[in-house]
Amino acid sequence: MWRGNKMSQTMGINWIGLYTMVRREASRMARIPIQAFIAPWISALLFIFIFGSVVGGRISQIGGHRYLEFVLPGVLMLNIVNAAFIQASTAIYFSRFIKFVEEMLVAPLSYVEMIIGSLSVVVLRATVTGIGILLMGIGFGATHIESWPMFLFWIVSVSTVFGLLGLIVGLWSKSFEQLNMPVVFLLTPLSMVGGVFNTIEMLPAKLQWLAYANPFFYFINGIRGAMIGFDEAPQGLGIGLTLGLLAVLGVTAWRLYAIGYGLRE
Amino acid sequence: MTPALSISHLRKVYRSGTVAVEDLSLTIPEGEFFGFLGPNGAGKSTTIHCITGVAEPSSGKIEIFGIDAVKNYREARRLVGLCPQEFNVDPFANARQIVDWMGGYFGMGARERKERIDYLIERFDLIPHQKKQFRELSGGLKRRVVLARALINDPKLIILDEPTAGVDVELRRVLWRYLTEINKDGRTILLTSHYLEEVERLCRHVAIVSKGRVVREGTKDEIAGSPGGLENAYLIATGAEPDHVAGQ
Repeated sequence: MWRGNKMSQTMGINWIGLYTMVRREASRMARIPIQAFIAPWISALLFIFIFGSVVGGRISQIGGHRYLEFVLPGVLMLNIVNAAFIQASTAIYFSRFIKFVEEMLVAPLSYVEMIIGSLSVVVLRATVTGIGILLMGIGFGATHIESWPMFLFWIVSVSTVFGLLGLIVGLWSKSFEQLNMPVVFLLTPLSMVGGVFNTIEMLPAKLQWLAYANPFFYFINGIRGAMIGFDEAPQGLGIGLTLGLLAVLGVTAWRLYAIGYGLRE
Repeated sequence: MTPALSISHLRKVYRSGTVAVEDLSLTIPEGEFFGFLGPNGAGKSTTIHCITGVAEPSSGKIEIFGIDAVKNYREARRLVGLCPQEFNVDPFANARQIVDWMGGYFGMGARERKERIDYLIERFDLIPHQKKQFRELSGGLKRRVVLARALINDPKLIILDEPTAGVDVELRRVLWRYLTEINKDGRTILLTSHYLEEVERLCRHVAIVSKGRVVREGTKDEIAGSPGGLENAYLIATGAEPDHVAGQ
């Protein structure tokens, strides 16, 4: 007689399946601790050293804050963006490349569950990366937190935005070369000119609109406001932009999963 | 009685334009041990991919125990276990993890999973290898892991796509015994294989596919009972030359 597996569902959600996706990716992350956590933490330490001791002393205060205090939130945001994008894009691409994505396709998991499972690990990795950098900053007296809820909002929302973008790119990519293209041509340039190292008023007047048109500016401005209470644009604008991006990218990712783009033959 | 699997006018055209399955219809009653034969490229694996959600059917209908495998895919997938032809496995994960994660995807609780994994690991002689990374295992052991993974959810319909390709005689016999046993216990099995003696030994019903269509179907006794046995029937059905013709 068939006993049948008793699939545990509450509110129609396969919670165990979701949790398994998190466990699985966490186990993959545990296999690459240097790439996942040590590298961004060392990079942040170097930023603290360079901007704290070497360059920082020669630059006047910005908005009443030491230069290192001003820069560190941007450095933290860069690492969150990188962690989120790389986690999402490589996980989905690798699973497609080796074909073990089929394990999820043949299982009773909905597309929304697949996306949420992937994003949960993205947020976990980005949060651990961000909190690690924050603790280093606090340890070196380089930063503090003005608003914990807003700090967590920016980490979770921005990592989800770039997690969704990473999923879309991971589905689209047909080679490791393509997987890296958005990092090289989009994320790095936009993040570097998004106000990590300078205020908008430091830019030539004719170029200031470029910063306002750059979404990274709002992410960095948001987390800087949450950390040291310094901002150059209304927080509400950044929050609205982030929620809008979440909606657009979320619907796009869901649609791609639903039609099996890059997943099913 | 609702059939275990019902496929009606399945057609699958890949994005490249290749027609992998032309017009395939098939009904497998519950409890059947069904052989699905055909030459390479006949559309067997594509049909299996469409049943299990790895590929999207271009048209046609697939029902698993009366449940639409496309519209109600979550409910339908719960009833199926797939042992694919290729090793679609994370090479860095160990054997136990691979089976455990699959159980998790199927919503099985930790205790239920552990019991089932212990049973399957023992049944397929994987105890000494359960903590080894998949990439470190031999071909035969890899096949055992993939089989255990396919059976973790104790599926009602088991689909085995060339499960004994490249495995040694010992595993082949272990697998035959196990499949016979679970089939007697009521599970429906769909088996593809290029080893006709395997099909003759295990299956009660056979369908031969060629160029994306079922070209011959019947009980094993009907098909294997014709002159020249199953092999000749297969060669004639697929348009190849049987020995006695080729030898003239």
